[in-house]
Amino acid sequence: MELRDSSPKGGVIGGGIQGISKRIGSKLSLFIFFVVVIVLILIGPVLPPGLMSLVLEMMILSIFAMGYDILLGYTEQCSLGHSLFFGVGAYGIVLSVLHLNAGFWVALLIAVALSFTFAFLEGLISVRLSEAYFVIITALFFSIFYLLALSMTWLTGGDDGLSVEIPPVSLGFASFSIYNSLVNFYLVLFFLIATYIILARIVSSPLGRVFISIRENQERARFLGYNVFRYKLAAFILSAVFAGLSGALYAIRLRYGNADFFSFMWSVNPIVWSLLGGMGTLIGPCIGVVIMSLFQYYVSAWWSQYLVIVGVLIIVVLRVSPKGIVGYIKSKREEALSGEG
Amino acid sequence: MEKGRGMKLLETVGLTMSFGGLVALDDVDFSVGKGELRGIIGPNGAGKTTFFNVITGYLKPTKGKTLLDGEDISGLPPHTISQRGISRTFQITNIFPEMTVYESIWAGINSRTKQPWNPFVRADTIGDISRKAGEICELVGLSDKMNLVSENLSHGDQRVLEIAIALSTDPILLLLDEPTQGVSPKEIDNLLEVIEKVSQVTTTIMIEHDMNIALSLSGTITVFNEGRIIAGGSPSEISESEEVQEIYLGIG
Repeated sequence: MELRDSSPKGGVIGGGIQGISKRIGSKLSLFIFFVVVIVLILIGPVLPPGLMSLVLEMMILSIFAMGYDILLGYTEQCSLGHSLFFGVGAYGIVLSVLHLNAGFWVALLIAVALSFTFAFLEGLISVRLSEAYFVIITALFFSIFYLLALSMTWLTGGDDGLSVEIPPVSLGFASFSIYNSLVNFYLVLFFLIATYIILARIVSSPLGRVFISIRENQERARFLGYNVFRYKLAAFILSAVFAGLSGALYAIRLRYGNADFFSFMWSVNPIVWSLLGGMGTLIGPCIGVVIMSLFQYYVSAWWSQYLVIVGVLIIVVLRVSPKGIVGYIKSKREEALSGEG
Repeated sequence: MEKGRGMKLLETVGLTMSFGGLVALDDVDFSVGKGELRGIIGPNGAGKTTFFNVITGYLKPTKGKTLLDGEDISGLPPHTISQRGISRTFQITNIFPEMTVYESIWAGINSRTKQPWNPFVRADTIGDISRKAGEICELVGLSDKMNLVSENLSHGDQRVLEIAIALSTDPILLLLDEPTQGVSPKEIDNLLEVIEKVSQVTTTIMIEHDMNIALSLSGTITVFNEGRIIAGGSPSEISESEEVQEIYLGIG
C-alpha cells in the first residue's frame, strides 16, 4: 500500500469523499494565507494611518484566534477564560519593561513565558474536567485575575492602566523604533506568518493527528494508548502561549496595558471568531477576526449597538453552516469535487 | 509464538467489582493462554462487559488482581494498559466517525511509534505507518474502503473497522466486546472470518451473546452468569452442559 492512496487526488474510491487529513492539509487555506501575506507586505507602506491601525489590530488578534483554534477547533476544549493569557501577555511586556528595564525581545520572551506558566498551572486543574465544568472553571480563573487586576492598582494600574515606553526592536545589526508604525506593522506581520507556519505544521504533524483523534473520540483515543490529559494540556498551553503573544503585541501597539485586557470581552471574542469563521481550519477564525474588527470600526460608528447585528450574523452563519464560513466554503468545494468524480 | 503457546497471558485472581450493593463481578478467577481464541458467553447482566471494563482499566476493581504476563496491571489507567498491550473494542460501536478508515487506523499505529508528540514531521510522510495501515486494512478486508469516512460505512464494516482500530496498536491481547451485535446476517460471515483471521495473529477474547455463533468459533468457551464463571470448556462440552442449557433455555 502506498501512502499516496490516502491523499485522495481525484478520489481513488468513494466518489471523492474525503477525510480530515485532506481537509486540514487543504491547499486552499495555504493559498489564501499566502495571498493575504503578500498583499499585506506590499500595502504596508501605503496604508493610511486609520486603516493601518485597523489592519494591525486584525493581524494581532489573528494570532490569538489561530492559537485558540488549536484548543477549540482541534481538541474541542471550549475555554471561556483565555483573556487571562491575553492579559498576562500584555502585563508581561508592560511590567518587565517598567520594572526590569528589559529590552524588547527579553520583555516579549517574559510575556510569553508567563502565559506558558499560567496556562500550565491552570491546565493542570482545568483540563481534566469535562465540557461544562471546563468552561466554568476557565471562566472562574479569568474572573479572579480580572478582579485582582482591577484591585491591585499598585501593580497593574487597575482601570487606568499603565503607560509604558516600548524599547526599540533590536535586530543585531540595527534597532528600530516601534513608534514608527511601519516597524510595528512588519513586526506583527512577522509574528503572524510565524504563528501560521508553526500551527499549520503542528496540525499536519503526528501531534496534530492525535489532537484530531481526541476531538473525534476522546474515549477511543484513550483506549488506543494516548494519555489524553497530556495532549489536551499541550493544546491548552499552546493556545495560551499564542494568546499571550497576541496580548503582548496588543500592549506594544497601544504602549499601554490595563485591567481590561483580562475582561470578559477577550474571553468571548475568540469563541465568536471561531464560530463565525469556522473551527478547526486555522484560517477560519482569522476571517472571524476580520469581520468582527470591521464591525467594530465601521458599523459601531453609526450604531453603537452593533453587537446586535453581529449576534444575528452569527446565528445566520451557524444556521446555514455549523462549521462557519470557511467550513461552508470547504464543504461546497468538496461537493463540487465529488460531483465531478 | 510456538514456544509461548499455552502459557498464561492474562490471569485474574479473585476479581470483584461491586457497584454499591450490586455485585457485577464476584470473585472471578480467569485465565487465557497465549495464542488462544476464547469466547465468553452468558446472558444479559452476567458481567461480561464489566469484566472487560475492569481488565482494561475503565473501572477499578473492588477487589482482586489482573495479571498480564505475570505483571499486576489492576488499577492502571486505560492508556497505560493499552500501552502494555491490551486492546479492545466496544459493545456499542466506538470509532472516529468523521475520520476515514485509513486515518482511524493511522491513529492507532501512531500511538506505538516514538513520535506521537512530534510536531515537526508531516504526518503524511511517515512511510512505516502508512505501510502498516495498509497491511491491517488488507488483513481485515477494508483495503478498498480506506478513504471512506467511517460514519458512511455499513454497520458491518464499522464493526470490522473497530477490530482493525483495536488491532492497529499491535496488541498482545485483543478483547472483542460483542463484535457481532446488530450485524446483519449477510455481513456476519465476513465478520466471523475476520475474527478467526485476527485471532491467528494475536490472543483474542471475544464476548458473544449469541450462543450459536460462540459455539461455531474454533476456541474454547467460558460461561459467565451473575458475575461468576460457571462453566468452561470446548464448544461441545458447553453445549452439553446442563447448567448452561438451564441458563439459556430454562430460567434465562
